Amino acid sequence: MSKAGDWRNYQRVLLPPVKDLHKLEVYEANEGYAALRDVVTTDKWDPTSVTNEVKKSGLKGRGGAGFPTGLKWSFMPPVDPDIPRFLCCNGDESEPGTFKDRQLMEYNPHLVFEGMLIAAYAMSIKTTFLYIRGEFADWITLMEKELEKAYEKGFVGKNIMGSDFSCDIVIHKGAGAYICGEESSLMNSLEGKRAYPRIKPPFPAQKGVWGYPTTINNVETLACAPLIIRKGGEWFSGIGSEKHPGPVLYGISGHVNRPGVYEFPTGMLITDLIEEVAGGMRGGKQLKALIPGGSSTPILRADMIEGVTMDADSLREAGSMMGTSGMLIMDEDTDIVSWLRRITHFYHHESCGQCTPCREGTGWLENIVTRLDEGEGNLRDLDLLIDLCSQMEGRTVCALADAAAWPVRYTIDRFRSEFEGKCKKPSPVASAELATA
Amino acid sequence: MADFIKHPVVELPDRKPEPVFGPDELVFSEDEKAQVKTWISRYPTADGAIMRGLWLAQEKFGFLPPEVIQLVADEIGIPYANAYGVATFYTQYFKEKKGTYVLDVCTCFSCQLCGGFDMLHYLEEKLGVHKGETTPDGDFTIQEAECLGACGSAPMLQITNGPFVHNLTEEKIDALVDALREGQMPAFTSVTLPQDEDELGGNRRTDVSATDTYSVRPVSETVR
Repeated sequence: MSKAGDWRNYQRVLLPPVKDLHKLEVYEANEGYAALRDVVTTDKWDPTSVTNEVKKSGLKGRGGAGFPTGLKWSFMPPVDPDIPRFLCCNGDESEPGTFKDRQLMEYNPHLVFEGMLIAAYAMSIKTTFLYIRGEFADWITLMEKELEKAYEKGFVGKNIMGSDFSCDIVIHKGAGAYICGEESSLMNSLEGKRAYPRIKPPFPAQKGVWGYPTTINNVETLACAPLIIRKGGEWFSGIGSEKHPGPVLYGISGHVNRPGVYEFPTGMLITDLIEEVAGGMRGGKQLKALIPGGSSTPILRADMIEGVTMDADSLREAGSMMGTSGMLIMDEDTDIVSWLRRITHFYHHESCGQCTPCREGTGWLENIVTRLDEGEGNLRDLDLLIDLCSQMEGRTVCALADAAAWPVRYTIDRFRSEFEGKCKKPSPVASAELATA
Repeated sequence: MADFIKHPVVELPDRKPEPVFGPDELVFSEDEKAQVKTWISRYPTADGAIMRGLWLAQEKFGFLPPEVIQLVADEIGIPYANAYGVATFYTQYFKEKKGTYVLDVCTCFSCQLCGGFDMLHYLEEKLGVHKGETTPDGDFTIQEAECLGACGSAPMLQITNGPFVHNLTEEKIDALVDALREGQMPAFTSVTLPQDEDELGGNRRTDVSATDTYSVRPVSETVR
């Protein structure tokens, strides 16, 4: 059952159908910065009530882990005027299959800025960083242009809208490293170091960038904050799935007729998303498999998606994760082994090299899967791969080793026959000997 | 595809290569120095400005040999080793000289399934060099890129850490290479959201000259 309700008549809120919404004056005419004005200039809101409203909305992080946002905000220690605090907005978006934040930054940048400022107000933060991956050079230029206009209008900077709340936004340009999407390595990258993840605890709320309390949220998560303030937490929690509510940007790619970024409530049936939203399979082919939320979420076979909806609970039951809701659809002709080989290459390339299980393990994953793909592998290599995955998972500072191991583990688990089909056949002599032994 | 594991995993750089730039070339102009100062002022410590500093240097010098990294480190006031560590960590900082245009073809994930490797191989054949190599005339370098975050308009490529070219086809690559040879960079291309197409009748940004749509190529006999 779809949990998205009447999604065919859904009115978009993150990317509402308004021409030139990226322009400040158009955004303002469409209730833009109204939530921020309400928060900073009236007595209706104080930092605690903003956090509570976000808690009430049930908003969960959209960056992959799905941690409740309001709860994360409340982890910040009490305000000490001598200790600076920081907010980082994570626009690194480099998980393969994910391309939603880029569209948000292109089409509704001020919503992102407003969300960052509201979050900063809720946690009494004076400096926020927006970390955008270096590949999005064009989008960084666009965002900088819009940010400048917001500064000129007095919506960012000193004494925002005449109140006593001041907050700066600094746009930080990355330079091409997948690992920077991990929150602790993003902090190291901001500090001007090699982007090695840090061990937790201490968590960012205790010791974050430059050792000060820090909160890190995804672009789409923060873009939800102004909507929650404008329309109320109850309104937000009423959208989509009960336990994982809100609007979501689904990035659908692969073998469908109409790929793209779509805004719909959570809890959409996967079959609806493929057949109706994305226009069905390309060339009338059959669905073979899909990835629900970026390359590190476990693959689902076509027979596993009946009745599965896009929210954390339903996908967990089905044996996968919501991740970033960047869906990859694969049709019947897809060679799963070749596909997995490219994924292992990706993780090998992007491993930062700090922890041995990941640095060495990702390389061996790639070597062994390549061997299988070239038809040089043996059946025992499949067990070797699973064993290798077990040696990697949970044994490193960050989750990249897990993210690299999961696709291998679950793809072998769910498509074992394809891997076996590519293995070397045992020689007839050896088989005969085995049979008589 | 078979060749990507044959490269040695670790290539040790030359410890003391001959400097490419002479001392009189290795200077920042007043304007560039001011830019670095602005960036330093935006972070609690000067270290934060290193990434912007390296970007600035790469735009000016084209790539980052040790002496350029030293120049940036001195300008920001941090140890050379830190700057070198950052410059070698990130893939977008070029440590050796590249062609005038670096073509980063994405072959990862969605792009692989939608023909990214076909586009890469077509480009390799067209320019007569392999990925990672530069054409003899110094115009083009071809690289295989990891996911560039444009999965809905796969396959795609990026030109020298700048504009994206979406929905690649062989004809599109031909036209692109010709245009680049004449020095014309493609404009920023805005990809129209499918829902905008339905509700707004096209791209929502009226200030962009080039638009494209999310699409996937039809099934053909040769291309999966």
